[in-house]
Amino acid sequence: MLRFLARRLLASVPVLALVSLLSFGVIWLVPGDPAAAFLDASATPAQLARIRHQLGLDQPFYLQMVSWYERILHGDLGQSILLNRGVAQALWERLPVTLSLAGLALVFAVLLGTTAGLLAAMRHGSWADQSITVLALLGLSVPDFWLGLVLIFAFAVGLGWFPAGGYVPMGQSFWGWWHSIALPAFALAVVQVGFIARMTRSAMLEVLHQDFIRTADAKGLPWSVVVARHGLPNALVPILTVTGIIAGGLLGGAVVIEQVFSLPGIGRLIIDAILSRDFPVIQGGLLFVAVVYLAVNLVVDVLYAVVDPRVRL
Amino acid sequence: MAKWTRRGLLRTGSGLAALGVAPALAQTETPRRGGDVIVAIAQAPPSIDAHLTSASAARDITLHLYETLYARDENGAPVPDLAQGVKVSGDGLSYAFALRSGVKFHNGKTMGPQDVVASIERYRKVGASANLLDAVDTVQATGDSEVTIKLNKVQSTFIDNLSSPRAPIAIYPAEEAAKPVKDFSFIGTGPFKFVEYAPDSHVKLARFADYVPNPNYSKRDGFAGRKEVFVDSATFRFMPEAGARLAALRTGETHIVETVDGPSAKQLQSEAAYKVFKVLPFYLQVAKFNHAQAPCGDVNFRRAVAAALNMEETMAIAFPDIYELNGGWVFGNSPYYTKAGLELYNLADPAKAKALLQKSSYKGETLTFIVDNTREDMDTATDIKEQLGQIGIKIDVKVSDWPTVSKIGFTPNGWHFWTHGFGIEPYEGPATVMSVWVNGISMLKDDPEIDRMFADYTGEMDQGKRREIFARFQTHMYENAVAMQLGNYGLFQVTTAKLKNFVPYRIPRLWGVWLES
Amino acid sequence: MRNRSFAVGAGLVCFVAVVACLAGLLAPFDPMRSNFRLRLAPPSAAHWFGTDHFGRDLFSRVLYGGRVSLEIGFFVVVVTGVAGTLIGALAGYFRALDNPLMRLMDALMAFPAILLAIVVSAVLGASVVNVVLALAVATTPHTARIVRGSVLVVREMEYVEAARALGAGDLRLLFGHVLVNALAPLIVRLSYVFAIAILAEAVLSYIGVGPPPPTPTFGNIIAGGRDFMNTAPWVMIFPGLAIVVSVLGLNLLGDGLRDVLDPRGVRT
Repeated sequence: MLRFLARRLLASVPVLALVSLLSFGVIWLVPGDPAAAFLDASATPAQLARIRHQLGLDQPFYLQMVSWYERILHGDLGQSILLNRGVAQALWERLPVTLSLAGLALVFAVLLGTTAGLLAAMRHGSWADQSITVLALLGLSVPDFWLGLVLIFAFAVGLGWFPAGGYVPMGQSFWGWWHSIALPAFALAVVQVGFIARMTRSAMLEVLHQDFIRTADAKGLPWSVVVARHGLPNALVPILTVTGIIAGGLLGGAVVIEQVFSLPGIGRLIIDAILSRDFPVIQGGLLFVAVVYLAVNLVVDVLYAVVDPRVRL
Repeated sequence: MAKWTRRGLLRTGSGLAALGVAPALAQTETPRRGGDVIVAIAQAPPSIDAHLTSASAARDITLHLYETLYARDENGAPVPDLAQGVKVSGDGLSYAFALRSGVKFHNGKTMGPQDVVASIERYRKVGASANLLDAVDTVQATGDSEVTIKLNKVQSTFIDNLSSPRAPIAIYPAEEAAKPVKDFSFIGTGPFKFVEYAPDSHVKLARFADYVPNPNYSKRDGFAGRKEVFVDSATFRFMPEAGARLAALRTGETHIVETVDGPSAKQLQSEAAYKVFKVLPFYLQVAKFNHAQAPCGDVNFRRAVAAALNMEETMAIAFPDIYELNGGWVFGNSPYYTKAGLELYNLADPAKAKALLQKSSYKGETLTFIVDNTREDMDTATDIKEQLGQIGIKIDVKVSDWPTVSKIGFTPNGWHFWTHGFGIEPYEGPATVMSVWVNGISMLKDDPEIDRMFADYTGEMDQGKRREIFARFQTHMYENAVAMQLGNYGLFQVTTAKLKNFVPYRIPRLWGVWLES
Repeated sequence: MRNRSFAVGAGLVCFVAVVACLAGLLAPFDPMRSNFRLRLAPPSAAHWFGTDHFGRDLFSRVLYGGRVSLEIGFFVVVVTGVAGTLIGALAGYFRALDNPLMRLMDALMAFPAILLAIVVSAVLGASVVNVVLALAVATTPHTARIVRGSVLVVREMEYVEAARALGAGDLRLLFGHVLVNALAPLIVRLSYVFAIAILAEAVLSYIGVGPPPPTPTFGNIIAGGRDFMNTAPWVMIFPGLAIVVSVLGLNLLGDGLRDVLDPRGVRT
């Protein structure tokens, strides 16, 4: 087991190196710089040049790269140009928001998705199965930000049940937190619900047609026990596989949902940084997101190896 | 310049009392103290150190925290704020500012001349608009409460510059001014003090208990005047989504929305729970030509474009219900407003345009219109493209985000047209408007006549003569179609009806207002 | 179920494609023609989907927008198909190239696809071509991995060894025998890529780095109307529904293709 872990970690190193290079290199490719965000519309080139110099943006590129790598290897992600604080601090402050959003969305997606998938598999061929399949597909076909807008329009502006934006930390008020995160998490979850429902359904269908299920059934066990004790655990393996992919999907979807619902999360941090050219935040943010994604996949791989020994070859 | 001598001060200050102007509040109701007033603004500020940035989002906040020697009144004219008044030497090169006494900083220190000197020197080093102080030679404390600034040349606009709210020359404690920029604590003399700053979420300010409103004024007056705070605290929430701002208003999570679109404002107007303010004029929408790129260097081409456009259509689409057709290069309420040259505004004459186009060097090539990705500017560009298409000018609209556009727009390559709003320039006055066209900065080719007029203006101490110079400038802008002023537009500000005594201005002002329960 | 999926999917996609191609004939108005006295009009007999804030007929814009969005989707599929196949084939077949190419793909896949697309779009600037490139960069790594997977499986198979023994050169083997096998999962993947491209283009437009106006796409019609969401929701609702219909069709098509071509295949 340990050797497997070590091997996987070792394989991640070149990927991490490339990821860091890509994260840093982006600023070299993107036109414009953060000086413009400090000034209003009629800023003259002289004023812009001045700010650029103050921000240290006119240093030669390789020097900037060297000092960036030096800092990274000491765990220092640098200082944001436009946010008045360290990049690491900015990420840390926003982590709870994105975690709440993605976490709650994952919970919604898994609960709704597996339930729907199970139901569809167990009533295979019935109209319930068909409608669930269609609904799942519909969920996959909806643009998440558009759904968010529609939900805001219907439930926030129209019915007034939820706020139209903004985040209330859980520490401040649990119900406030729930109110501010429920709608966006749902919008984010819808796509994944479809995905999980389909996966669960097909995994369960495969398992349910296997011999050992028929044996258990022939033994006289109630169907629900058969499903629960024999069917479900086997279906968990493909669901686990899918979790890694879902993590990527949730992170990506969170980026846009945060924009629509004005949630100060990591996705929005990075997008705003890209649009205003806050270089240190772009670099640090991209690196952070990639590392998290790689870590999640590593964990999933390990869990997978734990569950299915055949993988550990 | 007679206005800003001690005589002038007596006129503005005590004159108000002599006129029997009623005290600020006895209008209708007594103010209720307390509460946290919340403002939803569209963008987060890049910094709340007033010197460092001229972004308008920063001003919303910094002009509550800090004050300047002189500030602009309700009509945009400079009046004393932290200064008591000024004595200008006969040759116009020496300004002796008498400072108000008993002004406290948020950290308890009393403001003195050393703080003023240190703040102005800091601004010269790191200020976003440091060029405002280009004519300054020396700044010195010349008494217990006096600071003298010596200029190296006569500048009729010096007090204008000193009072510019764009990147305000805020007065900081000398110790803070001496610190490295990143260690600066947000300490000023303003009616609010800094509490917390969560970037990408909000800034919170609290009422400064030891603030003494300027005794020379009895009413709110622009950025100066009497700044009395009735609320306990103020929160500025950054909400880039227009829909989210509106929704927050409806759920009571914000009391003021800085800008609301036309159709929503119309809807809110019919609801008793809200007050809708039409703040007009607030900006000019300008379409610039790149004179360094053919055919825009050809005056006939530019005149053809200017003659073709139906500006009402463009303004109505880009700024529904919140525009005014006015071709002046300053706003109508400015003492410098003139109609000179305006007979060439909004001609909407395609026949004349086609005739001029024939005479020009335009040969049917496709021209590039760069624009940022805000809806209003994109819509302006799109409509102009369509209109010019009708007279045979082919245009390709290239949308980029602001950092990219503002980079391209100041280089001589890659664009023919560029449009965006000018807000602070017409508000500040003719000098600021003209300065944008000096040295060919905005049109990428020198116009010696404009350079000459600007030099004349800043050297001319007589206001009447300055008015004439500006009228000549505006005529020149129109006759040569240097750039096009498409019209004035503004914004809709909406507040809850529970907010009392709110009067919109360049920023939502949170002094003088109060919240009903 | 499987045949139905394919049939319905293919049917929807064909419907959308035909409507988009015939936009010129079907659209009652010029999608670029503004009518500033009729701005933000609700749906009516004259304007089935209402008008936007330029006074342009929304139904016509959605039709033309469909054409552009589908074009974008199509070209993304082409670019991803070519690039993904090339990279995946080279990586799968030539062991020396496998590691470097796949590490690069892994690195790209470590970023959420939409974030990658936004970054590339910001770098290149907003235009239809650049959006295609940005989306292709985001979807190619996964495609390459799928192709590589198929190539790996087939490379070791006996008939390939036999062919090699008979003297067939590497490249001929690659293109003649091995890739043919990868075709099935590739086609399935590409139909999903089409769907992803349409959804992603909408997101890019919403963020502000998508194809610029006045050219309509599903995404930028929604983006242009978002300021008016509270008073004129139709500007946002109809293009969104159009996206749902198009993507649903493509997803069904993908499912159907998978059931037909690659039921046991590389499934992710």
